[in-house]
Amino acid sequence: MATLSRAVQPLKRSWDRAIQWGVVIVTAILVIFPAWPILLQSIMDRPLYDKARALTLNNFVKVFSNPDFYAVVGRTIVFGLTTTVLSVGVGMLLAIFVVRTNMPGRRLLRNLITIPYYVSPLVLAFAWGTMYGPQGYVTILARTLHLPDWNLYSLGGIIIVSMMYTMPYTYLYISASLSLSDPQLESAARIGGANPFITLLRITVPLLRPAITYSFLLILVTTMELLSIPLVLGIPVGIEVLSTYLYKLGIVGVTTDYGSIAVVSIMVVLLVTGLVILQGRLVAQERRFVTVGGKATRPKPLDLGGWKWLVSIAVGLFIFMFIILPLVALILQASTPFVSPFINPLTMLSTDNFRVIWNTATYRQSLSNSLLIGLIGAAIGIFFTTISAITAYRTKFKARTAVRYLSLYPRAFPGLIVGIGFLWAFLMIPGIGAIRNTIWVMMIAFIMRYLPLGFSSISPSVLQISDELDRAARISGSTWFGATWRILFPILRPAMLSGYFLLFIAFLKEYSVALFLFARGSQVIGTTMIELWRQGNTGPVAALAVMQLAITAVVLLISQRVLGVKLHD
Amino acid sequence: MTNDLVIQGLVKTFGRVHAIDDLSLTVKQGQLATLLGPSGCGKTTTLNCIAGLENPDEGLIRVGDFALTDTAKGRILPPEQRQLGMVFQSYALWPHMKVFDNVAFSLKLQKVRRDEIKKRVFEALDLVGLADMAERYPFQLSGGQQQRVALARAVVTRPRLLLLDEPLSNLDAKIRENSRVWLRNLQQQVGITTVYVTHDQSEAFAMSDMIAVMDQGRLLQYAPPEELYASPATQFVAEFIGATSFLKGAIHAINGSRLKVRVGSGDILALSDRSGRQWVENQNVVVGIRSERVEIARGQSENLLHAGVVVSTYLGAKWQHEVDTGSGRLKVETVDSVTSDRLSLYLPPDSILLFPE
Repeated sequence: MATLSRAVQPLKRSWDRAIQWGVVIVTAILVIFPAWPILLQSIMDRPLYDKARALTLNNFVKVFSNPDFYAVVGRTIVFGLTTTVLSVGVGMLLAIFVVRTNMPGRRLLRNLITIPYYVSPLVLAFAWGTMYGPQGYVTILARTLHLPDWNLYSLGGIIIVSMMYTMPYTYLYISASLSLSDPQLESAARIGGANPFITLLRITVPLLRPAITYSFLLILVTTMELLSIPLVLGIPVGIEVLSTYLYKLGIVGVTTDYGSIAVVSIMVVLLVTGLVILQGRLVAQERRFVTVGGKATRPKPLDLGGWKWLVSIAVGLFIFMFIILPLVALILQASTPFVSPFINPLTMLSTDNFRVIWNTATYRQSLSNSLLIGLIGAAIGIFFTTISAITAYRTKFKARTAVRYLSLYPRAFPGLIVGIGFLWAFLMIPGIGAIRNTIWVMMIAFIMRYLPLGFSSISPSVLQISDELDRAARISGSTWFGATWRILFPILRPAMLSGYFLLFIAFLKEYSVALFLFARGSQVIGTTMIELWRQGNTGPVAALAVMQLAITAVVLLISQRVLGVKLHD
Repeated sequence: MTNDLVIQGLVKTFGRVHAIDDLSLTVKQGQLATLLGPSGCGKTTTLNCIAGLENPDEGLIRVGDFALTDTAKGRILPPEQRQLGMVFQSYALWPHMKVFDNVAFSLKLQKVRRDEIKKRVFEALDLVGLADMAERYPFQLSGGQQQRVALARAVVTRPRLLLLDEPLSNLDAKIRENSRVWLRNLQQQVGITTVYVTHDQSEAFAMSDMIAVMDQGRLLQYAPPEELYASPATQFVAEFIGATSFLKGAIHAINGSRLKVRVGSGDILALSDRSGRQWVENQNVVVGIRSERVEIARGQSENLLHAGVVVSTYLGAKWQHEVDTGSGRLKVETVDSVTSDRLSLYLPPDSILLFPE
């Protein structure tokens, strides 16, 4: 019989509590930091930096007595609801066609549908303008063919482009839900006498209700805070929604009306908070429909019969017209002096637009700034949210629920408002002016904005790991942090890696946080694009957009092909 | 004309794998036949072919004159036109519908009158003893109740066939035993022809009129339970349906169906062979021994087997010994502990099975 010798271990001082408190405090500061100056400003009669300021309720009176405000709120609601209904409808239809039918070309189409997910909505808006705007390629072509005319610079145009931007989210949620649902539920309906179409209508679609509810509210929230598409397509013709209204108040106006900005911001945050809470409630209520996946093989896909080619062509045409063509237009515009359907673009290829970006120091710097913020910020972000998720789900720490709520709460802050909050906070705190205009501030703001993305991308993986693994480490004498570091982190590596790329792409695309925050030296790709656009330099805008797309494509390729990262199922 | 289920020449391949390899069997009207075998043996694929959830490459499946599948005539009915009832392993109750609506689903599709639907749904729910649960959602029911709702849903249309895909496998052991008695009674009461799939041999014995043992897509034996137990057709069947150990041996003497075999230890065992096989003297054979029938010898003079005890395990109600006979190991059970490390075992003639090597 072998004997086991007992090692005598000196008692190590544990830093566990300190680290856990650190997580709560840092998260709380990140979330409260941009919120408090806005709350304060809403009840002050002068800008926060003015020492002579005094308490007032006039800001609220002013905003609520302005008929423009109500018109904007009404338009925002119409815009939001219409976009959401379309986006959920189209996304669901595409998901069903791709996942559950024998439509030819499903694999190819599946990959194309999600393209807008990786494209900044700003770029999408520019791309659509190039193809379908008043001087757009297709528009002019249609006009010469005497086809009915359209106007992209309208509420309808804004809705269509926003629908294309948000549709991949619905598609991803609903197709994930479709492939998780128990195929025996559909088989049971078939045996019970339902043909494939009735099965789809009476069983498959009703079972998607949790996913539909979830994506409906997710997209409603997204449209409420969506700035770029209404900015590019609405502002030139005077169509305002809440986000662009706020943008005009803060940036375009002659004198900045701090009080009104604060009040409108609070209204937007309250609205979005309400939607986020509603989302949580409804989804929890509908969870009872969630079924445990069956072990059986997938049922035969729904046979579309003679319709399958027609459906495939319709879906393909939709994707070609609404996703591929605008991006092609963008590339054409970037690589030619001007775009016209009457001149073969290949005869006038030029790199001038790219040269403008590359040879102008400030433009070039926006590229390097974005890359730097993405590379470093995403690493800090995913590392921090991983520790937060472990604190929230793998400790008995008393503030663990607070960590979860604080990490998810920034969902209610539109990017523009995060930017305003950070700007004002820095204006108020004396002595930190030196770092105010650096990219580090930008990075902190980006991380705050995307805490929910990082947190929710990592927490399913944390929850999946059996807690016996870290308990075993604790029993063997490890501290909580030791178990986290040596056991959980290595297991979570694949999830952290895909979270890193998700954050990187989000940071690269982000522009709304930066609009208020950026200054000379801290400009990012998005702010430079908006500047160039406001000056009417459409060629360089397109060139910069193409460069952003190229970086995204390369990063995606590296992450998926080389590192085998799955960004979503 | 009876409404037997007839399956002829069923073939199904997945790539190079023969999931079903030329399977033929008949289930008499009103009987319950079980497809029994280890996972991957093709039993569920067979059931899915009957249901129309899977299309076979070749074969005929009919109930009486009504062909469900007839590949020779290019006829494969989709599931919804087969008029069957099926209970799935996960029960597959639709979570967004109340119990009543789950059961009423098929009747509504058949455009049955409203009051008639109500009457028939409650008849079916009464049958499974759940009439008071009609307004509940599936997630408010226990596993056993869900299984019974699934059964009510399957029989409410008075189907041609009832198909059961391991319906008891998700239940706790205790409920499972009660359920199989209940399920068998209900099947006989309704008198519906039933195909039952399971990998649990005790379930198969307890419920079936006929058992089909399958392995690697092939039907090894199709027989009533008692016959299957008494004379399993192959070594695999013997091994699968009961606790059987195998020893190497050779034919010692033949006297009609009375045989004597010599096993490696030199012991001679007498048995009567009911397999109808032809044996020759000195032929090498595999001797199957049913552990549960083996006793410690108490003065018997023949069919003795001498073996050394390898390890004894106390199981509470009894002792289990693993013994080495010199030509293979054997598991034996006794009520009391044994003191000696060598045992004399008595093997009753009907505890011994014979297979060609």
